Amino acid sequence: MNMFLYELRASRKSTIVWTISLVSVLVLFMSLFPSFSKDVDEVNKLLEGFPEPVRKALGLEIGSLGSLLGYYSYSFTYLALAGAIQAMNLGTNILSKEVREKTADFLLTKPVTRTQIVKAKLLAAVTSLLITNLVFLGAAGLTATMVKTEAYDAKVFYMISITLFFIQLIFLAFGLLASVIIPRIKSVLAVSLGTVFAFFLIGMLASTGEDEVKRLFSPFKYFEANYIIEHSTYEISFLIVAISIIVVSVVTTFIIYRKKDIHTV
Amino acid sequence: MEEGEIFGFIGPNGAGKSTTIRTLLSLIYPTSGNAKIFGKDVTEFGPEIKQNIGYLPSEVFYYDNMRVKDLLKYSASFYKKDCTKRIHELAEILNLDLTKKITDLSLGNKKKVGIVQGLLHEPKLIILDEPTSGLDPLMQQRFFELLEEENKKGATILFSSHILSEVQRLCDRVAIIKEGRLVTVEKISTLKENNYKRFKIEAKDKLAKEYFAIDGINKLEINENTVSFLFKGDVNEVIKRLSTIQVTNLWVDEPDLEEIFIHYYEKEA
Repeated sequence: MNMFLYELRASRKSTIVWTISLVSVLVLFMSLFPSFSKDVDEVNKLLEGFPEPVRKALGLEIGSLGSLLGYYSYSFTYLALAGAIQAMNLGTNILSKEVREKTADFLLTKPVTRTQIVKAKLLAAVTSLLITNLVFLGAAGLTATMVKTEAYDAKVFYMISITLFFIQLIFLAFGLLASVIIPRIKSVLAVSLGTVFAFFLIGMLASTGEDEVKRLFSPFKYFEANYIIEHSTYEISFLIVAISIIVVSVVTTFIIYRKKDIHTV
Repeated sequence: MEEGEIFGFIGPNGAGKSTTIRTLLSLIYPTSGNAKIFGKDVTEFGPEIKQNIGYLPSEVFYYDNMRVKDLLKYSASFYKKDCTKRIHELAEILNLDLTKKITDLSLGNKKKVGIVQGLLHEPKLIILDEPTSGLDPLMQQRFFELLEEENKKGATILFSSHILSEVQRLCDRVAIIKEGRLVTVEKISTLKENNYKRFKIEAKDKLAKEYFAIDGINKLEINENTVSFLFKGDVNEVIKRLSTIQVTNLWVDEPDLEEIFIHYYEKEA
């Protein structure tokens, strides 16, 4: 418990900053919605000027930007990107910082098992993300009701919003795994930004084609807003893939960290 | 090591002192073999054993943005007892300001935090890895007194160092290691009997080699009118001999660790 609270406090500042940033981007996007929906015809005309693959890669679908849900799913791509960076940073940092800041000798000579350490840190990270998501959900719901032009399906709206948390959990797990596999992480940002943007680009490429298999390679494509809007449910197969990735990464992290040698600084 | 003793652990840099200690603390895992503390395997019973271990690393690093007080409280929260009183006692003895931020501390003061952190839970076994670097002589003295006090209360101490005089001052027995191997385990008293002195003499006149044919002289080197050698035995013998020549300068030193090792190497060979 003491480790959990310590870790929570240690990531407090970054959680606050990330939450505020995410909400700001959200508000910025949402505040533009009224003008978009007013001039939806012109926007559509503008979009027709783009080649189809480009539109698909950017997640722009003609006609969808006029509705709140369509517009939100487009904005959400970028919110998810930012959220993924937050989660990956957190995951990569939380174990590796002990070695980088040379505090491993302190923590690991305390009467705790390695498993307890990872568990406490993991829980603290998930809690931080949970806090971010709760604030985000609240802000999203609030801004949506403020800018809506006509009624929208609130359930679907929240279902899309919650995928932020799913995507974050995946990248948190990636971060943890990276931190125990890479021997010495000098810069967390380099690792996390690199990974997140790589997956984001893969996701963009994946959406240009119709190939479902390609989507497997980018967690950003596991929870397609269009599918959720259409069916009011998640794609079960991709949900299973997501859960499997998280479980495998986290379990591997535990196994590796338990046996990891912590060398002198 | 036996319970209740202060056990010295010396060897040159890279001999494997820290590696041994890190294995004992299960920071690293043995590729083969095992180690036991309190009769229990360190890998298997790590957390249980560590409840009663205090460790002070050679270089101390702590969470920079914390205050000393908070760090010590965090450290204490890992142990199943209330350590608040002990923290304040130790801080008083060592003259450590608890309200400062870790970042603002000097090396010596960080070291003090390390000492308090290692002793606050009154461990049964205290492991010290080159603990005196960064401490001024006064603090070093106080720190040694503190250790002797803990020892009297029943704590066993493993004291790793490459400074012979420190080990001599504090320890009952000493293990000498070199290149990962245990060279010898000796009582400090025996080691002192074997104690070599290094002499360097500058004389007015050129000195003949025969002049220094005394028992116990080793590694005699003569260079014009300066002479140096290692001597083991009754120092008076040398002084008597020296009284017959015109000496312009004289140095008598403790040999450094390397020379002691040479001695042990010769013994082995």
